Amino acid sequence: MLRTLLVIASWDLIKLKNQKVFIAMRWAWFTVQILVFARAISYIVSHSVTQYTGGVDYYHFYILGVYTTLLYSASIARGYMIADEFDDGIVEYHLALPVKRNILAVGRVIGSSISTIIFTFPMMIIVYMVLGVRDILAILVSLVSALVFSMGVVSFVIMIVFTVKSTDLTDIIVGAIDALLVRLSTVFYPLPVIMATGIAPYYIAALANPISHMADFLRILLFPEYYLVVQHGLWASLVYLIGFSMGLLILAIEYYEKKLEAGGWR
Amino acid sequence: MVGLREFVLQSFIVSQRDLKRFFMNIYWLAGQVAMNIADLVIFGLIFRGIVNPVLIPDYIKFITPGILCLSIFISSFTIGREVGVELRREVTHYLVSLPITRGALVAGRILGGVLRGFVYQFGFIILAVLIMGLPTLDKWLLILATSLLLATTMSSISITVSTLTRDFNLQAAIRSLVYFLFFFVSNVFYPEKAIAVRLGPAAPLAYYSPVSMAVNIYRYSFGYIQQVDLLFNLGGLVVWCIFGLLLAYKLYIRNLTR
Repeated sequence: MLRTLLVIASWDLIKLKNQKVFIAMRWAWFTVQILVFARAISYIVSHSVTQYTGGVDYYHFYILGVYTTLLYSASIARGYMIADEFDDGIVEYHLALPVKRNILAVGRVIGSSISTIIFTFPMMIIVYMVLGVRDILAILVSLVSALVFSMGVVSFVIMIVFTVKSTDLTDIIVGAIDALLVRLSTVFYPLPVIMATGIAPYYIAALANPISHMADFLRILLFPEYYLVVQHGLWASLVYLIGFSMGLLILAIEYYEKKLEAGGWR
Repeated sequence: MVGLREFVLQSFIVSQRDLKRFFMNIYWLAGQVAMNIADLVIFGLIFRGIVNPVLIPDYIKFITPGILCLSIFISSFTIGREVGVELRREVTHYLVSLPITRGALVAGRILGGVLRGFVYQFGFIILAVLIMGLPTLDKWLLILATSLLLATTMSSISITVSTLTRDFNLQAAIRSLVYFLFFFVSNVFYPEKAIAVRLGPAAPLAYYSPVSMAVNIYRYSFGYIQQVDLLFNLGGLVVWCIFGLLLAYKLYIRNLTR
């Protein structure tokens, strides 16, 4: 069973080799975010914002948010690849293999998540170099947490792709969810700033958002003073992330096993 | 040879089809409108609280012209996504079999993107009037010319980008990158002073961005700034527009006939 799982997972890892242009694009995307947007936006933000970030510099606060969005969008991109496979009839081939559906689901999710981590690892190292992080344990914990987070996002996007069975609809739905989740998160602003606006639904959405939890988890991990900002603390975010990922993984397995049929692609 | 009148008519028919298709994804459209308004509200309300007021006294008024550009980008870029899907699914075979010239087809697709931009931006123009006040008649003409040039540029660039590759994932990645380059390397979110300080010798890149040029004219037209170099900004947009049109035409024709 483990060998089958590895073979399935390696499918996504092998595909990583053929995505040099895509990787270059994402690198350029990341560079623009870190070198241009983050630097310019932190210039216009008042120094008084540190009272809401527990003393963490806004640039540092924001680039961890950027890394989280990168992790999220790289995981989401796996969904686009699976949509492409559907278009090429490869999914039908996968479903015809003498492999249990649940192994297939777990293998694809694990393979996609590991690919995401490999893909984003150099960018994580750059962020950590900018932040001056040298704690190996913190790096390892953030890698594991990134893998857990990515598994949840990949499971989620796989379910979308297989439910709508349309490249066009996948693009639209994923794009809309992507934009909404990033906006309603703590990527740009810390929770107390969102709370201060007095818009309760926005605050609740930011509080329940997996991107917020991932970004804040990394912030607390690397800047313990940020603990003062996030009232629910490190463990609550950790439990949330594990619950989010495992819950969605189970749903993805359930979907693969009971509902997924070949064909019907629009 | 097709006469000019026939060419315009054929292009118009193609653009009408694209405009109709724009309203087919009504939920997507509603989502995008909500997203743009959310941008305005979230950025305006939250950033207003944390932005240094010495640099930007009112962030909502500062960001509103940028949202006008964003609305053009989102709507005009949809044409590129559709062109990309057509290339992948080889709908292009059907398109080239239509009794219209290829030039009229390409012009019609670009015009379709422009019309989408105009229709989509209309609501945001009203919102901008409510936030920033009513421009005078001559400023309205400037707004119209800017929207037309920007929508044509974005529509052309989106078609260019979509014809570069048939890889769906890569198309989405390029689209994101173009968005980041146009909007982050511009004066949409921060003033030119911040760009000069943070980008140093690379600051002129933002200066020559079509989005910066459009934002400058919108800000001037809505009275946020009192003067603007119209020759540079409007002339620059014209150059971007011609460049985009030529590139889109050449690449789209190449892909249609390949």
